[in-house]
Amino acid sequence: MSVETDFLRIQGSVAPWVSGSRTAENRLDMDTSAERLVPAVTALRSLSWGYLSAITGFDSGTAAPSDGHIELLYHFCNGPAVATFRVKVPREDPSVPSIGPLVPSAVMYERELAETMGVKVAGLPKKRQFLSDDWPENVYPLRKDFTMESAAATREVGPAVGSEEAPGTFIIPIGPQHPALKEPGHFELAVDGEIVTHADIRLGYVHRGIEKGAEDRSWVHNIYLMERICGICSHIHATAYVLGVESLSGVAVPPRAQTVRTIFCEMERIHSHLLWLGVAAHQAGFDTLFMYSWRDRETIMDLLEELSGNRVNYSVNLLGGVKYDIDGKAADSVRRGLDFLERRTTHYLKIVTTDESFLRRTRGVGAITFDQANLLGTIGPTARASGVSRDLRVEAPYMAYRDFPVRPVLDSRCDLEARFVVRINELFESYRLIREMLDHMPAGELAVPAPRKVPEGEVISRVEAPRGELFYYIRSTGGVKPDRVKVRTPSLCNWAAVLSVAVGHKLADIPMIMVGIDPCFSCNDRSITLRRRGSAESWSWEDLRAYGISYYAGGGA
Amino acid sequence: MAQSTLKGIPRALRGALDKVALWSRINSPWLVHFNSGSCNGCDIEILATLAPRYDLERFGVKLQGSPRHADVLICTGPVTRLARERLLRTYEQMPVPKFVVAVGSCSITGGAFHGCYNIVGDIGDVIPVDVYVPGCPPRPEAIIDGVVQLLTKLKGGAPAKAPEADARLGGGS
Repeated sequence: MSVETDFLRIQGSVAPWVSGSRTAENRLDMDTSAERLVPAVTALRSLSWGYLSAITGFDSGTAAPSDGHIELLYHFCNGPAVATFRVKVPREDPSVPSIGPLVPSAVMYERELAETMGVKVAGLPKKRQFLSDDWPENVYPLRKDFTMESAAATREVGPAVGSEEAPGTFIIPIGPQHPALKEPGHFELAVDGEIVTHADIRLGYVHRGIEKGAEDRSWVHNIYLMERICGICSHIHATAYVLGVESLSGVAVPPRAQTVRTIFCEMERIHSHLLWLGVAAHQAGFDTLFMYSWRDRETIMDLLEELSGNRVNYSVNLLGGVKYDIDGKAADSVRRGLDFLERRTTHYLKIVTTDESFLRRTRGVGAITFDQANLLGTIGPTARASGVSRDLRVEAPYMAYRDFPVRPVLDSRCDLEARFVVRINELFESYRLIREMLDHMPAGELAVPAPRKVPEGEVISRVEAPRGELFYYIRSTGGVKPDRVKVRTPSLCNWAAVLSVAVGHKLADIPMIMVGIDPCFSCNDRSITLRRRGSAESWSWEDLRAYGISYYAGGGA
Repeated sequence: MAQSTLKGIPRALRGALDKVALWSRINSPWLVHFNSGSCNGCDIEILATLAPRYDLERFGVKLQGSPRHADVLICTGPVTRLARERLLRTYEQMPVPKFVVAVGSCSITGGAFHGCYNIVGDIGDVIPVDVYVPGCPPRPEAIIDGVVQLLTKLKGGAPAKAPEADARLGGGS
């Protein structure tokens, strides 16, 4: 069914709750209000169309010509099509109902809105007490009138609030400093014996405030910042950003530049998947595979360095093109590297599908069924390992993927083994794509000039990162800096699924299940809430620290 | 030595035992890694440094999980508002003498994130740092060089600033 007929169908079924709607290429914008949001979303869900991809909020500010509203955009995506509900709420009292009961994955995004925009989301599940750490009250960083001075104030963290868990439940806290992952995240696992009965996660240790930072930097300067959202998928972030900005400015990027960008995207996918394979094997206690895959990963790191001069942040993109060319000599060394990696990858595929002890950690473990994956809005290889075909390179080809079609890699076994198999098979697909692109590289320019100021407007830019769909919403008011850059990264979507499937598993399987979605904290740490749990006799951090210092000063040392 | 941990042992033996302790520390420093807001680039390069190509383990360096077993804290990233107390806590859990290597531009100045609202500063603002490794991210060779410089420094004696720093932290913040 074409996108247009889909949009007509949607417009028909949500019509009673929508005051106006506009369509553009692959975009459908529908104006609704806070009161009518829930029935409108219900109507959309009843069509079984798409999944909630992101909720963007932006503050129009108080200066004229603005009318002092906060606008909330609920983006639902299906393949190339994006249907957006737009809700305007007054700045003084921004409140909307939660759509969490209809769309479970919305809760993460709504919490983020509540914390960074100060939107009151009625009905946001409040099973637990969420308190901001020492972040001052009524200070919302993404509001336009936010100042660093207002954030400098600290809020007294009150006494620990009573915990709500049933008596007799044992909670195992893990992290944020822990040996399992290289990044900080805090997990709380309630266990009954060996079995996990409840899993929760606390994010925000690497929340840096990049979305706000982007508003203070020029369009060009932001390429540098966006690359540093994540050190693993740096290129794809910059790519999503420049594709969005180029589309706003109406710059046509030469085909050779698009192909170079695409080659880097695929090389980044190779390095990311090999990295994940090693880390995941390490979680299973299979350090030999970890060391082998990281040794082989150096091949692709060498190639990236040869092409761009950098191992990690390649800095390939410009507004309007790329900085580096791939000439015949470089292409030959890429081909040689890929030949070697292909042989190694065949070996890895054999290991993860035949090694008996490894299979006992992966086969039948951590299953996310097709329905769960669909409902909870999983994306990327995690979704594809549950048979949910979500791959923007296939469904909405961009850049050189239009000329070099990607074959989707799917697996319907839903368990951890399937997640290994899908990622490894995607490696083969990447090798094939890169070879084809190198063989049929379009001739021509590497870059065209792009204007310093970007015309007024908004754009949604979606690309397929190694971990799944990466969503950028960029809004310009015609100046030298963006008005709003919203980034929704793939790991954030997959947490909901992983936390729900963790329940019922043995504690020992949890690290494998967590790592199965290839979590990346640096890009998904958005919320700044802190959950305080404890009872009257619990110690505060200051007490503990004082005790620790006196203990070591007196007795130990 | 920064601080002798040999209470109750005859003074004559202490010097010899301290020498043994220093010798073993230099030949097998154990690392604990903490990311206080990094983009992951440095963390992955640290891991690559420990992987077979660069093999930091040939210097006797071992990455392990608990700060209580570690001699060296290897830090990445600027310090975010939330990670600050965890960074302090990790540092304070380490037995003395302890050493800090800060990896990456962000850990030196805040780097690309300087000025973002959730950044409270760089690593040096929170805990005393012995060796800085610049780069965004630094190459594995640079990280190795940083660790080797630390080991060289250890041969010379105590970590810089550590006693005053402990007093500062003990005073609360």
